[in-house]
Amino acid sequence: MSAPAARPAGPNEDTDPVEEHAAALSAALHGPPRAKARMVREIRDGLADSVAAHAALGLPYRRAAEEAVREFGAAEELAPACQRELTIAQTRRTAGVVAVTSPFLIACWYLIVGAELPPAARLTAALLAAVAAGAALLAAGTLAATGALARRLPTPDRLPLAVAWTGTVASVAMALATLTLAVAGAASAAWPLLALAGALTVTSHGLVAASARACRRCARAVPG
Amino acid sequence: MKADAVRGHLDGLLLAVLEPGPLHGYAIITAVQDRSAGALQLRTGTIYPALNRLERLGLLRSTWESLGERRRRCYELTDAGRRALAEERTAWRAFTTAIGSVLDAGPTTRPAI
Repeated sequence: MSAPAARPAGPNEDTDPVEEHAAALSAALHGPPRAKARMVREIRDGLADSVAAHAALGLPYRRAAEEAVREFGAAEELAPACQRELTIAQTRRTAGVVAVTSPFLIACWYLIVGAELPPAARLTAALLAAVAAGAALLAAGTLAATGALARRLPTPDRLPLAVAWTGTVASVAMALATLTLAVAGAASAAWPLLALAGALTVTSHGLVAASARACRRCARAVPG
Repeated sequence: MKADAVRGHLDGLLLAVLEPGPLHGYAIITAVQDRSAGALQLRTGTIYPALNRLERLGLLRSTWESLGERRRRCYELTDAGRRALAEERTAWRAFTTAIGSVLDAGPTTRPAI
């Protein structure tokens, strides 16, 4: 591999086409921070290699950098393909969070059903458990459909939005479960257990709500 | 060859250049350009999201490796990737044979009406 080309020092550093390209791409993309940083870094490193190859042929740094950017494609040209992949990455992340936290809701249902509570609270718990089961099933299906299964089956365009809204519904269910557990805890001798379940559920609510919000943003960022 | 024509075959191209062994992103770009003698017009930056997708599908695996002063993400084929490449080749040969047999056929005698 050729050595990295010498970059211009001083004020020109601020207008390095490679750094401008990386900054523009980073600003245009939404997705899981690590996945996004990895993608931008890989493209930036590839551009730096391309600049070095052009500079080795005798081009001055700035010309070499501009030629490398022209070959790679401007940030706005690369962003749609990068965003599609980052949206799938965020969809998988949200599905993973829902799949891991939904069992808490089902555990809450067991706790609430076991406690001496009015029928309304039991009905609420049963509904929340049904939401949890549905969300967990969709999450597991999403992880399969966007993983190895995607070699054979096309990934539905609306899957990221469906997962985002499923996560949102699951997070609301978790907030309701926390409320139900608080009511149940006040009227039950098993309040320490119910309080612990409530703490876990409210934590799950925070995780799922944040991930679902990020997923909605990514789903909207994918070009139609 | 125009970028639109290449795009549908990008997965196969990437798998093929990785068949001999692991490469990092820019080395993959130069391998595609070298093998095609520069005939394929492609926005080379688009290979990075494609590599990410192939890794997600389990056709590639990647690791960070130190190459000189820099660390680079290097990609290599998985067993599933080798099978997918074999399928791509079979499908491509069947396609080119079928198209070639139509394009290369000499002028046929038009039946009398």
